[in-house]
Amino acid sequence: MTLRKIAAVSAVALGLSATMALAEYPERAINMIIPFSAGGATDISARAISGSLGEAVGKPLVMTNVAGAGGATGSVAVMNAKPDGYTMLFARVGSHTVSPAMKATLPYTLDDFRFVTVYEINPVACAVTPASGIKSMDELIAKVKEGNASFSSSGVGTLLHLAAVMVLNEFGVENANTAATHIPQKGGGEAATAVLNGTVTFVCTNSSALANFVANGQLVPLMVTTAEPVVGFDAPTSADLGKPNLEQLVGWTGIAGPADLPDDISAKWGGWIGTATQDPKFAATMESLGSVLVSMTPEESSAFIQTQYETFRALVDQLGMRVEG
Amino acid sequence: MSFVDNVMAGLALVANIESFLALFIGVAVGTVAGAIPGMSATMAVALTLPFTFAMAPITGILLLLGVYKGGIFGGSIPAILIRTPGTPASSATILDGYPLAEKGQAGKALGMALWASCTADLISNLSLILFAGWLASFALSFGPPEFFTLILFSLTIIAGVSGDSLLRGALSALLGLMLATIGLDLIYGTNRFTFGSPTLMGGLNFIAVLIGLFALPEIIAMVWNPKAHEGKTRTLGKNWVTFADYKASFRTIVRGSFIGVFLGSIPGIGAAPAAFLSYSEARRKSPNKANFGKGELEGVAAAEAGNNGVAGATLIPLLALGVPGDVITAIILGAFMIHGLQPGPIMFVMNADIIYGLFIGLIVSSVFLFIIGTVAIKGFKYVADIPRGVLFPAVMVLCIYGVFAVNNNLFDVGVMFVMGGVGYLMMRYKVPSAPFLIAFILGPLLEDNFRQAMLMSNSSPAILFRGPITWFFWLLTAITVFAIARAGFKTIRNARAADAEAEEIQ
Repeated sequence: MTLRKIAAVSAVALGLSATMALAEYPERAINMIIPFSAGGATDISARAISGSLGEAVGKPLVMTNVAGAGGATGSVAVMNAKPDGYTMLFARVGSHTVSPAMKATLPYTLDDFRFVTVYEINPVACAVTPASGIKSMDELIAKVKEGNASFSSSGVGTLLHLAAVMVLNEFGVENANTAATHIPQKGGGEAATAVLNGTVTFVCTNSSALANFVANGQLVPLMVTTAEPVVGFDAPTSADLGKPNLEQLVGWTGIAGPADLPDDISAKWGGWIGTATQDPKFAATMESLGSVLVSMTPEESSAFIQTQYETFRALVDQLGMRVEG
Repeated sequence: MSFVDNVMAGLALVANIESFLALFIGVAVGTVAGAIPGMSATMAVALTLPFTFAMAPITGILLLLGVYKGGIFGGSIPAILIRTPGTPASSATILDGYPLAEKGQAGKALGMALWASCTADLISNLSLILFAGWLASFALSFGPPEFFTLILFSLTIIAGVSGDSLLRGALSALLGLMLATIGLDLIYGTNRFTFGSPTLMGGLNFIAVLIGLFALPEIIAMVWNPKAHEGKTRTLGKNWVTFADYKASFRTIVRGSFIGVFLGSIPGIGAAPAAFLSYSEARRKSPNKANFGKGELEGVAAAEAGNNGVAGATLIPLLALGVPGDVITAIILGAFMIHGLQPGPIMFVMNADIIYGLFIGLIVSSVFLFIIGTVAIKGFKYVADIPRGVLFPAVMVLCIYGVFAVNNNLFDVGVMFVMGGVGYLMMRYKVPSAPFLIAFILGPLLEDNFRQAMLMSNSSPAILFRGPITWFFWLLTAITVFAIARAGFKTIRNARAADAEAEEIQ
């Protein structure tokens, strides 16, 4: 074999393998990291989409829960993974906009990820008990200004914490982070229960966490943060109340890869999500959980997440809420 | 609609092959999953959830409930056979279950675990059906101050599981309390003892600590001294529990069941504290007090009655108020919502057929649990006959796999090994490990509820005495502490008297 032949063969081989790599992603199963434990909101959402998404991808999706530290453990695992598109992350509002805005010690920033889609939006609603006698946001704000109101959350630096403070701030309460007493709870379920049993005055959380109590008349919704009213919630939207800025305050679930994820892989995910969210069975499941289905392209999702992060960060800096230790 | 109409409507809904099959499969899957160390009942239920999306509501929910109930019982199998709790709820079962297996009575211990589980399950389900409304209103009157006093009382369990030396028990509990402080501070969100490592931010993984503390010391002891067990035969657990055994423990089982029902109907406590509380109450009341912890059948009955009593009762806040009491019921709540059902007071009116259908299914599940449990024990009890040289390495592999699988995190496996070392040292110096575990579970609850109560009252301690519930638990705590102190003094006095007599004789 002459040198030229070898060169030709290797060139062809190289070319082939290069085009194969490009043409055939994914050529094996994709590892999907869920950074929260099994049974949580992110887990249910991720497993619900895995069916139709797996069909769109054409290769199996291996769903793995890497839970701990409010989503940080799983997120770090994906941040450090090879950017070959075979390790992807289910990103969530708490772990990817609220925590980065609030926690100085977080082992990652938004720049460590490349977001390929946001497929689910969760409206946020604020609610009180009927026993409290509060019937509108104005009455709640008046009570907060009197200085004897409190709110619950699923922990410091969670969406629920930030949501309550942001709402109070928008409604003109001074020092919104200390005006009402923050009583953190262990989780979202506990946070809603704390309102129910009178431990706190109000909670602002995903409408899905409250839907049940609202339907049963155990809690009264005061406001929802989406532009459109939420089904089952007899409450004005934030725009109705003249606070359109609060529309930034929504929960979401999306998919992200490491920062160096190539453009073509990212584009593929955009297409797959478009197909997956069309699936009527998936849509029905998500809607019964109170989610709004969206199908953002990689560019849209990055912009959406960046804007939300900046809104949150500005509020956190303005009120000095950043957790340093 | 009258009660009979509701029952008939419910029956119409569940009386089909599909529902019963789902329930049966659920219990079977749960039992096997519960028997695998590291695969807790919670994980089993979470992993079953996606399969229910396409089912009819009642079928899907029965499947999940089956997995839940099977899982809580299944955890007792490895607890008795290999000193490894299959689920956190079964850690109290180890205390007497494993010594019984060592004595060659594995079959008896497993049988008692099953009978106690089924009885408690039935009592728990009946409580759900009969007292749901009453217990639910009670559950909502538990705010942070009430929780604080309840947990303070529960810490007195430590005296009940300390064995011979209360001082050693207290030392063990102290260690547990200290390790439980690692992780994020709930109120300020700051890191505590994480040494800048993100893996420690979530605290030490509970299952890793649990398995490290209980399963590994036995294995390390065997590596240390491989010949120690030779000559001791750990013969086949052919002996089966008799009706006389069951009758002798019946009071304990009923007491344990009601402790489980009570703690289960309050959101946020869980099955493990119920099992320990039931165990320590049984020990306090038993004439065979001294034999507890050394292989007392009644101890197994108490622990299993306590944790299974919780299983039906956690559905009380879920169905009556829509409040999930623990992670498992939170997942089941998700299943309700996916099917467009909203648990709460209205559901008893709007979907009474589903509620009564579930009740019927739950009663049947106790029967299924008995059948599947009997078959499972028949299969699993031969584990007791496997030579240790073969069994222990296999257990080791299971432990590592199980702990890794909880969060797919290698750090947790490291935690397990370190805790194994700690557990081994504790075993050698006769420091009991159960108080460690109780403190590790209850410590953070005590702290969080105390601080939440202080936030509620602007730091006025008077809130800890609000209402009759807090007074009740303060009183109970005072009585228990007094009883423990008196028993302690009595032992010392008796010992002195014995010494004095011995001197006189000399």
